[in-house]
Amino acid sequence: MTLKLAAALVATTALIGASGVAQAETYKIGITQNNVGVDSYQTTYEKAFIAAAEENENVEAVVLDAGGDVARQIAQIQDLIQQNVDAIIIWPTNGKAVVPAVRKAHQAGIPVIVTNSNIAEEGFDFIASFSGPDNITQGARSAELMCEALDGKGQIVQISGQPGYTTAIERAKGFEDRLPEVCPDVELMETQPGDWNREKSQRVMESFLVKYDTIDGVYAGDDNMGVGALNAAKAAGRAGDIAFVGATNFAVGYEAMARGEYYGSIYQSPVDDAEAALKTALDVLEGKDVPDLNYFDTPKITKANMDEFDKPVF
Amino acid sequence: MADTRLKTIGELLARQGILIAFAIFLIGFAVFSDRFMTPENLATVIRQAAIIGVMAVGVTVVVIGGNLDLSVGSMLSFSTVLVVDLHDKIGPELAIVVMLGATLVLGAVNGFLVGVARLNSLIVTLGMLSAIQGLTLIYTGGKNVDILDQETTWFAIFGRGYVAGIATPIVMFLGLALFMHVVMAYTPFGRRVYAVGGNPTAAVFSGIRRSRLVFSTYLISALTTGIAALILGSRVMGSQNNVGQGYELLVLAGVILGGTSLLGGSGNILKTVIGVLILGFIQNGLLLMGYPYYAQWLVTWVVIILAVWLDIAAKRGRLLSPIA
Repeated sequence: MTLKLAAALVATTALIGASGVAQAETYKIGITQNNVGVDSYQTTYEKAFIAAAEENENVEAVVLDAGGDVARQIAQIQDLIQQNVDAIIIWPTNGKAVVPAVRKAHQAGIPVIVTNSNIAEEGFDFIASFSGPDNITQGARSAELMCEALDGKGQIVQISGQPGYTTAIERAKGFEDRLPEVCPDVELMETQPGDWNREKSQRVMESFLVKYDTIDGVYAGDDNMGVGALNAAKAAGRAGDIAFVGATNFAVGYEAMARGEYYGSIYQSPVDDAEAALKTALDVLEGKDVPDLNYFDTPKITKANMDEFDKPVF
Repeated sequence: MADTRLKTIGELLARQGILIAFAIFLIGFAVFSDRFMTPENLATVIRQAAIIGVMAVGVTVVVIGGNLDLSVGSMLSFSTVLVVDLHDKIGPELAIVVMLGATLVLGAVNGFLVGVARLNSLIVTLGMLSAIQGLTLIYTGGKNVDILDQETTWFAIFGRGYVAGIATPIVMFLGLALFMHVVMAYTPFGRRVYAVGGNPTAAVFSGIRRSRLVFSTYLISALTTGIAALILGSRVMGSQNNVGQGYELLVLAGVILGGTSLLGGSGNILKTVIGVLILGFIQNGLLLMGYPYYAQWLVTWVVIILAVWLDIAAKRGRLLSPIA
């Protein structure tokens, strides 16, 4: 709608080169997602992306899903190159394995935008931009929330996401680096992975509760796991003594927060994520100056400010 | 003389090796962690193991009957998602009825393909593993499901409640195991399952209706999976689409650790219980000692290999095969 003809021409000629047919009116944008349907976040993301693309009459979207399979994702990137799309958005199934395919797209003159979780560093030269949440900042903000909740003193445990998963690593790093800065008197006693799985997290927390007589706080890599930990603490009758801080606010976390059982989280909307990815792709195509790391904001949410946010749909 | 003595020791190990291993693990963990032997921790472990355990009781019956069931993991995902989703829509009573009905239908599909159509159980249930996962995702569209009213629903009894001071999952697990043990050890049905698993041809010639029997073993494993879904759904009060992913292997590991032969015809439900508890104690013990729980996979593998090796070695009277 706000598309400028000149910018479009510049973008198409510059990026598609001789092989491109001048498409001043529409951009054909291909997206290959990680694994739609495996969780609510990704499902909502896809819906929001399709809705945003349909709303913009200048965009023709080719929406693909790798189903969590790296080989399929690489094939999809190759297909998109063959189809000569104007830009490719990729939600990597594996940050390293997709790099050669991304390089191919780059060599074919097609700008690649990475969404949600970034590809490996060796691929940075081949992408136009990364659009997504800043997980390190999210971890740091969670540390600040924990600090607030405990008044700067206490013993805590961490339940992290799936090992090897960038989001899990970055959130844990952001949290662990920030915590001693804001709260030197809060001690992180132990970290165990909960694999983004509520039941596993519940089991891990049950063991923590046996192992430690005093737990003042739990930081979980997302609210799904955080609620699992809350379940365990409630069953042991110790929930009242423990502050729960999570990330990626889920509907269950939002509700627990409203009940005062869950201290705080980080609000990350899959709708914002999807819209930011599409907007970044369009900005790149229109030749705008786009930062390499194009983060969308993911604010803190606690009981105090939760009315400003819609309840998450997942 | 010496040879027979070796054999008796070997036999003792083979017969009671699992109990000895169990004792060694308990002592080992108790030495390394002072929290391990507390009543709270032991209750926690058995409660956590109950979900795998309930499933393993049913799968043991299938395996004794000479077949495998790898579909129970995704069946657990499906059943848990179904009962949790329907809980708020049609109430807990109906949700449980519908879930158990649907789970039995899945078991019947397995039972028909393996028992009646005589297809290989590994292939059938491996296929069902992914088919049911797909079914679950189609049903939810990928969304997590949750029970909103977690505080007052009576559905909480299965995963969070207590019966006579003992956590319900423990009561359900041990009760079901005891019941199934009696069925397998002391009823004509149980003897027929052993007969069909041990020697199908002979069983058929002695008048056992093999198709029907195999069919019913799959209904049993589906039913126990449905019961496990009740515990899991109630314990978490929500479900992810892939919540049971990988459980089929844990279940099978428990069954194998319990000494049930994968070739069929022999096995014991109560020893499956011990097998499942060993897995649970390994996981808990390693966590208490501060290892990431992934360490349990490695340790579990070692334990299974030792258990299987011990079993084989005792049967042939030596550690390695006499045939080079």
